Amino acid sequence: MSTNDFTPRQLNADNFADRWQQRPDARSKARGEQRYPTDELAWPGLLHGRILRSPFPHAQITGINVDAARELPGVRAVVTAADIPGDNHYGIVFRDQPVFCTDRVRYLGDALAAVAADTPEIAAHALSLIEVQYTELPVLGDPAAALADGAPPLHPGGNLLDSSLLEHGDVEAAFKACAFVVEGRYSTPRQMHVFMETEGGVAVPDNQGGLTFRVGCQSGHRDREQLASILDLPLDKVRVIGLATGGGFGGKDELTMQPAAGLLALRTGRPVRIHFDRRESTIAGIKRHPVELVARTGCDAQGNILAHQLHAVLDTGAYATLGPAVLTNLTDHAAAPLYRIPNVKVTGQLVYTNNSVAGAFRGFGGNQATFAVESQLDKLAAAAGLHPAELRKRNLRTPDDPGVEGQTQQQPCDPRLLLDAALASPLWENATESDHRRWLTGVGMALGAQGNGLGNGLPDSGGARLHLSAAGRIELAFGFIEYGQGVIAAVEHLACEYLGCAPDDLDIRLGDSSGPDSGPTSASRSSVIAVEALRRLQPQWRAALQDIAGRHADDLAPGRGGLCTPSGDLRISYAKLAKMAAQRPVLKVHFDFPTGPDATPRGRYLQLLIASVARVAVDRLTGRVRVLQLHHITAGGKVIHPPSYLGQIEGAAVMGMGMALLEDVPMQDGQFLLDNLDAYLIPTLADAPEQRVDVIEAILGGESYPVRGIGELGIEAISPALIAAIENATGVRMHSLPVRPTTLLTAMQEQHP
Amino acid sequence: MSEPRLTLQFTVNGSEQIIEVSPTRRLLDILRSDLNLTGPKEGCSIGRCGACSVLVDGQSTPACLLLACQLQGRSVQTIEGLRDEPVFERVSAALVNAGALQCGYCTPGIASTLTAALRNNPTATAQELEQALYGNLCRCTGYTGLRQAVAELART
Repeated sequence: MSTNDFTPRQLNADNFADRWQQRPDARSKARGEQRYPTDELAWPGLLHGRILRSPFPHAQITGINVDAARELPGVRAVVTAADIPGDNHYGIVFRDQPVFCTDRVRYLGDALAAVAADTPEIAAHALSLIEVQYTELPVLGDPAAALADGAPPLHPGGNLLDSSLLEHGDVEAAFKACAFVVEGRYSTPRQMHVFMETEGGVAVPDNQGGLTFRVGCQSGHRDREQLASILDLPLDKVRVIGLATGGGFGGKDELTMQPAAGLLALRTGRPVRIHFDRRESTIAGIKRHPVELVARTGCDAQGNILAHQLHAVLDTGAYATLGPAVLTNLTDHAAAPLYRIPNVKVTGQLVYTNNSVAGAFRGFGGNQATFAVESQLDKLAAAAGLHPAELRKRNLRTPDDPGVEGQTQQQPCDPRLLLDAALASPLWENATESDHRRWLTGVGMALGAQGNGLGNGLPDSGGARLHLSAAGRIELAFGFIEYGQGVIAAVEHLACEYLGCAPDDLDIRLGDSSGPDSGPTSASRSSVIAVEALRRLQPQWRAALQDIAGRHADDLAPGRGGLCTPSGDLRISYAKLAKMAAQRPVLKVHFDFPTGPDATPRGRYLQLLIASVARVAVDRLTGRVRVLQLHHITAGGKVIHPPSYLGQIEGAAVMGMGMALLEDVPMQDGQFLLDNLDAYLIPTLADAPEQRVDVIEAILGGESYPVRGIGELGIEAISPALIAAIENATGVRMHSLPVRPTTLLTAMQEQHP
Repeated sequence: MSEPRLTLQFTVNGSEQIIEVSPTRRLLDILRSDLNLTGPKEGCSIGRCGACSVLVDGQSTPACLLLACQLQGRSVQTIEGLRDEPVFERVSAALVNAGALQCGYCTPGIASTLTAALRNNPTATAQELEQALYGNLCRCTGYTGLRQAVAELART
């Protein structure tokens, strides 16, 4: 079905061949030698922990008895809320989630107790012996039920956790002046992260009342703070090592198994391992927010968009976690930040329910909003009789326009460059021509914007430590977690660039709360922090090494193997410098994430852009959609490590494709209608499209912020691009994700009976 | 109630093992917990993700689905036992060169499955190799690097 001239697996025309290099962990991973948090099985005296979870989505707890479980041979500890020495609550934004529930359960993932036993089988048996008495309460199965009059409040502040309003101009008046107005109701699924390694790790007690966690997480430092508060330990008694882990995508941002494992380890004085199985991960893990969006957008007779209004309702589940921050980012994206629109009103409601907890997930609310906004643009173009690209061209913002809240932003380039490149894609050749009567083909595109950093003036800082070891190794430490994204490759490459050294000179240390705090590994912020840190360290490092070398070292600079002459000849090795030094340098930097010049920062200052073009084939008989090809044009600064860049964009795109076509965790009355990968399907190799990424590396503002984080960019525009391609193929526009074959087939039959 | 035990005699990575186990103990637990072979990973426990793929009598099989009572006299190879094989060397080099992995948690299963496919059919086409991998899920990469690696393996 490929009738165009499309070279897949390409990063620009030259494939960045001269810059293509392996990630430092590639060989050990390809040989199965990499150790993961859930591989920590060989600890002497290791105990196996299990957590008892609620059988009801909403109930009063009237009694709990763990005596029988405690008496089971092989059980070493059973803990409940009564055993928690500190705060029984956690949560990154509000600490509203109980480690163990005491009076009430609010969803099926709520924990009641935990057991440590000699074997996983004994631990599972012990859970079945814990007696909890419940009185069931009415289940709030969706936001409408939770907001209805008389709904029982799930938290003291009521069921509306947060709301948003972003408004400028007067939309009501502006709609009256519009020649064309389109409306749409959109919905997006409760997508699951499906990191291949579910939540897990081990808590190891020392013999002085302290604990070390070796776990899968996204911030050792933040976990440490929360765990110290739960366990009532001083910070220096808790160490969290975020080991290289099997995927994160936002789903390991919040605490998972750490509190229960820590408590059990303190209780027993032995290492305790907890590894959620996929069922427990499905029920207790974080999801992407399901969102209902209602949008109205209008333009004048010339296609100038005059007004845009959108209302979003997010099902945040039983607890807050990062829901409020997701709502803020969704609101920003729902205001159509890529377009100059004089009258905009966006409102959002973040609602507690008895459903799965929703929180951080790659895209962070932005991609749900972009799906609705870009779909509205397509519908408006059709209503106004314009090509979708033409409508966009007439309304695109310039790089100098302020953001949707009037804030200053660093745009990577003029978005017109991306639109033009997308229109020049080979995918448009013979777009709807199929050599097969059964399959209808079509092409669509969408634009997206994505920011870096926590944004909105939230405290956001990071740092690094650089040290010359006694053996002459350059030890560079960041707090980031390597969960697959390739931060280890980025750090290695940037260190060699800024410090002049060779990869072999370096020992990179990541994710240890006893090292520097770099801030959370989230919000596409790590690459920016890494560059900013190394920029600051570069002159200090050079000076420190010259200092050791003493006189005549002024013309020497750090290079491969040691201090080198300007022509690159090695003069004094790092090993020798380490021996010569009276005091070996330990350099530390800590600084704020760039938030721009505004006194009150809003949104995200450092911005990236993407255009995604999709070519699909739709089966006339079944309504199944096959994604044939994806062509992305990205603008997010310099490519540090080509395989990681390509992998992040391609991987995010296929994850977005899953959200658009396959993935959802359906719930009914607070019950999960599936709990494993037999029913929750993610794309396989058989579903994977050909992909190509063209990068616009040149960046406005030149050297001020040359590198941006691209971990979330690839998912931003994929849903609306696929929906546009499906419409191009079938004439049917879908509004609800994921697009199931049966739903599409029904819509196609209604369109052409 | 005394738990039934089984004297299991089988081969793991070429060495004869005789162990006393529960007949319902999963191969995955025997490998990871009892024999400290953590190359095979647990992803779904129901044979859908392929992260625990090992070779049983030369065929790629999810280790989470086989029980001790099914292993008598059989030969099991994990990625730890494949590393010295030239076919495996080719497979892992192709994965590395194509940038076909990110978190790498699915990679042992993929590398083992590809090794078995190539061993069983040295002239396998790219399509045949891809089909062998349809039961191996990867959440990071979007499979594009994997497809490139497979193409290279089919060519060489």
